[in-house]
Amino acid sequence: MSMLRTIKPKNARVKRALDKREAQIVENEKTAIFVRGQTSSDIVRNAMKDLYALKRPEAINFSRKNDIHPFEDASSLEFFASKNDASLMVTGLHSKKRPHDLVFTRMFDGRVLDMIELGVEELRSMSDFPTPKAALSARPMMVFHSDLFDTHPTYQQLKSHLLDFYNGHHLTEIPLLNTLEHVISITAGPISDATPLPLVHFRVYTVKLLASGSRVPRLQLTEMGPSIDFSVRRVQTADEDMMKAALKRPKLAKSDVEKGLGKKRKNIETDEMGDKVGRIHLAKQDLAKMQGRKMKGLKVKKSGKEAAEGAGADESAITED
Amino acid sequence: MDVTQQLAEFAAANSTAVLERPNPVITDAGLLAAFDNTPIDPEEYANLNPHVLALTLTSTQALISAIFTLPTKSTSSGPVVNLPTPVTLLPREKPLPKPKPPTKWERFAAAKGISHKKRDKDVWDDEKQEWVPRWGKGGKNREKEDQWLHEVKQGEGADLDPAKTARTERKARIAKNEKQHAANLSIAANAPKPISTLRDPTFKSSSSLSDSQEVKQSSRNKRKAELERSMLISKTSTASLGRYDQKIEGEPKVKGVKRKFEANVGTGGFEGEREKALGVLKRVESTVGKPKKAKKGGEGEEGGLNVRKAVRFASKQDGGKGRVVGKTGKGKRK
Repeated sequence: MSMLRTIKPKNARVKRALDKREAQIVENEKTAIFVRGQTSSDIVRNAMKDLYALKRPEAINFSRKNDIHPFEDASSLEFFASKNDASLMVTGLHSKKRPHDLVFTRMFDGRVLDMIELGVEELRSMSDFPTPKAALSARPMMVFHSDLFDTHPTYQQLKSHLLDFYNGHHLTEIPLLNTLEHVISITAGPISDATPLPLVHFRVYTVKLLASGSRVPRLQLTEMGPSIDFSVRRVQTADEDMMKAALKRPKLAKSDVEKGLGKKRKNIETDEMGDKVGRIHLAKQDLAKMQGRKMKGLKVKKSGKEAAEGAGADESAITED
Repeated sequence: MDVTQQLAEFAAANSTAVLERPNPVITDAGLLAAFDNTPIDPEEYANLNPHVLALTLTSTQALISAIFTLPTKSTSSGPVVNLPTPVTLLPREKPLPKPKPPTKWERFAAAKGISHKKRDKDVWDDEKQEWVPRWGKGGKNREKEDQWLHEVKQGEGADLDPAKTARTERKARIAKNEKQHAANLSIAANAPKPISTLRDPTFKSSSSLSDSQEVKQSSRNKRKAELERSMLISKTSTASLGRYDQKIEGEPKVKGVKRKFEANVGTGGFEGEREKALGVLKRVESTVGKPKKAKKGGEGEEGGLNVRKAVRFASKQDGGKGRVVGKTGKGKRK
């Protein structure tokens, strides 16, 4: 049974809000929840803070401790997810056995799809880099280095997880200039017998586009942080049937795709300053119907009702004839 | 830190030089992602941060060139690039929305080939010379209730209230529609569910929010009653009929059949008593001296032959030849 009461919409606004939570053909961007367990460390908290800053505004941060152990019992994760309509979770934990622990969880249809546990081995947070940062809600680019992301199942899952986390939402179009501000680089170390699960290096750089004389600009990168070295710990793979259902693609008409997948933004524009500008169409004002000063003498008697009642008596007289 | 190393790092940070990669960088412009599937060189890896920077520069350059060569369209706020559909498959957040089960009318319309005609919400009022809503406040369907003069036909009683009649008729139409709506909902709720919902009882369909509360309630009550019944049966299946079993909190109480006694003085008086006694006598009489009836499909009398069973046995033996079937072909019945 669901832990949440089902809400029956009592008005149109609630109904619209509930309809937005229903399954959609073209989905909204996934929201991530950041929550920490009963014990966490400074390093984990700082790492979560930075990951949260990168994911904003599609992220919710919970600052209180919660008794969550994702690999032992996922029910509270599912509760969090369904309550907030979010499908990505990051849980920060710390224990002697697994120090500085981050658990990335993905949900499908309100249930846990898969999980991956990463340990923070080294952290330099965003504030440690005295460099300009990317703007809020700027879409990052993501690059992955190493053959492991193509061959090793655990690293394949990690790639899918991280890509889904920051870049999972497909945009049909983006402005070409001033939007590609930063790049998230994920590199796995070389695999050897000593390191069967090599470290994963998470780096973020701001991108500066330079004129090159051709259509494609040259780049210059400046590290903006965070810089995190992850070790790969426990992994929970997805149920096959569930993954199959999750990977189903809708059949979309080509014309719909070209038009921007049914998300029409009529009369909303962004001006040169980056401000959102809306246009409203108003009908011509009828000054004849304008309410003037109210005075007893100027009162207009409501004639409609009274006339009808008066006529009612007449009508009965007519029918009796 | 050595000065030369610092200088080298500064140069690396300000460089735009791209590395040579043995395998080309794979780009997925739809997700703004690039994948460099060349294994990391352990020697270069020792010098981690500059190497990662150089790698990132290389793959980002590949991604940027992929994005900047896509077709663009110019808008008032600069060129906008159309991103292609992503190549990398990522799981959805929620399953694909299920198509709504067709209502009874929709099924009928499909069978008869009736095409849907969209009705406007407003209708033209010829008298008022304006558009009025079809229903709701000031709706056209209340016109008769609101008008001050009604035509009374021949033979209609003087006490007839035409406005009231119109209102009852309208309310009846609403009630009928609501009944049909509820029926459609219950049919949709009883429709076969997808496998994923059957396998997991805790699975909650996202569409359940919009379902009628009543339909859910009734199915829930039904299931609860079934569970209670099976629990009572299992409780009495011990040797002690569950007398010494541990009680569970909130356990359903056993409700047996209460004994009923006839009243000493019959309700029907003397006549009723006579009737009852005669009924008993008749039942006894009808079975006395008569052989037992053969059960349907059973063995029948001792030594006798159950013809029905014999025929069935024989027809099975020779592959159904015993059955006399007029038509052998698969053709349509005429």
